[in-house]
Amino acid sequence: MKNKLILFWIIMAITIASIFVDYKKPASLGLDLVGGSRLMLEARTSSSVPKITPEIMDSLQYAIENRVNAMGVGETIVQRIGTKRLLIEIPNITDTTKAKEFIGQTAQLEFKRPKMLPDGTMDWESTGLTGKDLRKSLVGSAPTTGEWMVELEFNAEGAKKFSDLTKELTGKQMAIFFNDKLQSAPRVNEQISGGRAQITGGEGGFEYTEAKEMVDLLNAGALPVGAEVIQEESVGPTLGQDSINKSKIAGIIGISVVMLFMILYYRVLGLISCFALIIYSLVNFAIFKLIPVTLTLTGIAGFILSIGMAIDANILIFERTKEELKMGRSLFTAINSGFDRAFTSIFDSNVSTIMTCLILYYFGASMVKGFALTLIIGVCLSMFSAITVTKNFMHLIFGSKEMKYPELFGLRKEDIENAYVATETKREKAKFGVLD
Amino acid sequence: MANTNLIKDEYKLDIVKYRYFWLSFTGILLIPCIVAIIYLMVTQSNHSPLKLGIDFTGGTILQYSVDKKVSIDEIGKIRTDLQKIGIKNPVIQTTMDAGMEESKSEVKNLISIRTTFIGDKESKDKVGEITDVLVGDFNSAQLVQVNSVGPTLGSELLRNTLTALVLAFVLMVIYISFRFRTEYGWIALLTLFQDVIVVVGIFAIKGIFFDTTVDSLFITALLTIIGYSINDTIVVFDRIRENMRFLAKKYSSGEIIDASINQTLARSINTSATTLFTLLALYFFGGATIKDFALAIIIGVIAGAYSSIFTAGTILSIVKERIEKKHA
Repeated sequence: MKNKLILFWIIMAITIASIFVDYKKPASLGLDLVGGSRLMLEARTSSSVPKITPEIMDSLQYAIENRVNAMGVGETIVQRIGTKRLLIEIPNITDTTKAKEFIGQTAQLEFKRPKMLPDGTMDWESTGLTGKDLRKSLVGSAPTTGEWMVELEFNAEGAKKFSDLTKELTGKQMAIFFNDKLQSAPRVNEQISGGRAQITGGEGGFEYTEAKEMVDLLNAGALPVGAEVIQEESVGPTLGQDSINKSKIAGIIGISVVMLFMILYYRVLGLISCFALIIYSLVNFAIFKLIPVTLTLTGIAGFILSIGMAIDANILIFERTKEELKMGRSLFTAINSGFDRAFTSIFDSNVSTIMTCLILYYFGASMVKGFALTLIIGVCLSMFSAITVTKNFMHLIFGSKEMKYPELFGLRKEDIENAYVATETKREKAKFGVLD
Repeated sequence: MANTNLIKDEYKLDIVKYRYFWLSFTGILLIPCIVAIIYLMVTQSNHSPLKLGIDFTGGTILQYSVDKKVSIDEIGKIRTDLQKIGIKNPVIQTTMDAGMEESKSEVKNLISIRTTFIGDKESKDKVGEITDVLVGDFNSAQLVQVNSVGPTLGSELLRNTLTALVLAFVLMVIYISFRFRTEYGWIALLTLFQDVIVVVGIFAIKGIFFDTTVDSLFITALLTIIGYSINDTIVVFDRIRENMRFLAKKYSSGEIIDASINQTLARSINTSATTLFTLLALYFFGGATIKDFALAIIIGVIAGAYSSIFTAGTILSIVKERIEKKHA
């Protein structure tokens, strides 16, 4: 009994902690609920890039991440899917035309020359030499100082432009702008005709990551690997909010009807299962928030479905307990054997559900993954809830008392009385194991 | 013998005794489903047993919310207007939230327009053009959802999906065979097939009459059904196995199977019922997006309960009798 009380308080502690988490931590909602767009890009091979390598994908992902972030629309996510795809999630933006244009843009590297403004201040003007004239770029380190730098290699046209420009600017400063940001403005000492140039990081020098980032971006801009939108999902914020409201209504109605049914059919046992179900829901939501699971519309559907499934274990246990009671067992043993006997069925059926969910998670599109994940969590948790919480409550409430009111279990008095009357034959049956 | 009453006590259904009746009854129920599936496989150019949605064929669906009901004439007008701007064969459907008139829901009437895939390159402004047409016809039209799937991705999704389905079936058979005996595994597979045929068949019928298409969510529903509807079968098998262990000497396998089905009847029905309650709530109140998804699982859960009661036991009794005869 003492152990049972300890367990009870552990369950209560978990529940209270869950309520705390549920209250404090905001749920992370999927794009289909808050509104936003999801674009799937696929890298396309071309004659010059016949194979998509992981390096190319790195550059592509980086380039796209940077560009999407530059849109300034909040938390965007760019994720690698498989070997040649990127999934881009942009919250709040439903009109993807702009996003698609932005993603399609190349990285802007520009070489500029100094220009005196009429008011005497200095500015830079374009020279026509840009990232388009690059063949490729690499991360290198300066031989003397060991500082990281970006090495540029121009194509034929670019080499000529660069040679002309350095000739023109000998003795003057030349500026290198990247995405409209001044990177460095070195003094040109002589004409450079090899078709190569370096960008050093100005006074502070480059961090390796900085140099690598720029190289990635430049290569993405310079590489002719095209990226095409192969899938698009956008949900407007009104529809998203509408889905949240509807899921809430559906969830509340679903839970209420299930609880009502359980109380009507199983009486006190049903009531116990309702409390277990409430604890289950609270803990489940807390887990969603802690992992965190991004809730999507299908994810919520998975959760609501898992409520209906979570109660299944309780039903199996209750039916078994009732059966044991009818056979004349004492309350305490009936509860225990009810749990033991029902456990194999519960375990097997949950394993089968988990297996299909794993398949769904592995093969499914992102929308399906959300459903599979919430259902897996729900099913695993429901085993805990049914076997630990429900059992603990039953033991604490009924203890080792005699059964006085079979109506509380949804049993008729005759069922039990018959069982006691038939004690003798019961013993006989026990020989061939009906009971044990 | 008094003991005969022991397992006869709670008989509500005589399954094994009338097993050929139940099997034929099940067969009759399956006929329209199979006919619909075959009909679609023959008539459709891709020989698929269902009408496939854009997830599998590729295409674009644009959904607009409007503040009033849309009449058939208005749909016709949208179609001609869309054809004017070069959209060939747009499929236009409307969804209304029946019974939700009084709710505060902002999204009541949806017009969905399905076209071929609108990619990012050649037709950048196609979506804009379509929206212009809709706003021209309905002032309140608002683009609320875009779903677009490229054709190559579509066929890839279809392939993945079929792999997932086959894998699910195989895993179930292996698991049941491992936990029970091989014959149980195969019978479980049969009941699963039956459940899946019912769901696919009803959606094939829906496809024929209402042009309902299936998407990845439908396949998700099928896999969920495979994972869930086997639960009832497991419960029945678990009880049969348990009873076989203790009663095999006294009773025939038919009697034991019958008793087991009857003993587990209440829980088969109740577990399915509670799951159905949550699904029905999703179907009626969960919004248009997951209506068909919920419906598919609802059908699957009912089919699963039915097959665990009427198919699993009857076939098992036939198999067991064969085995017993062989040994005798």
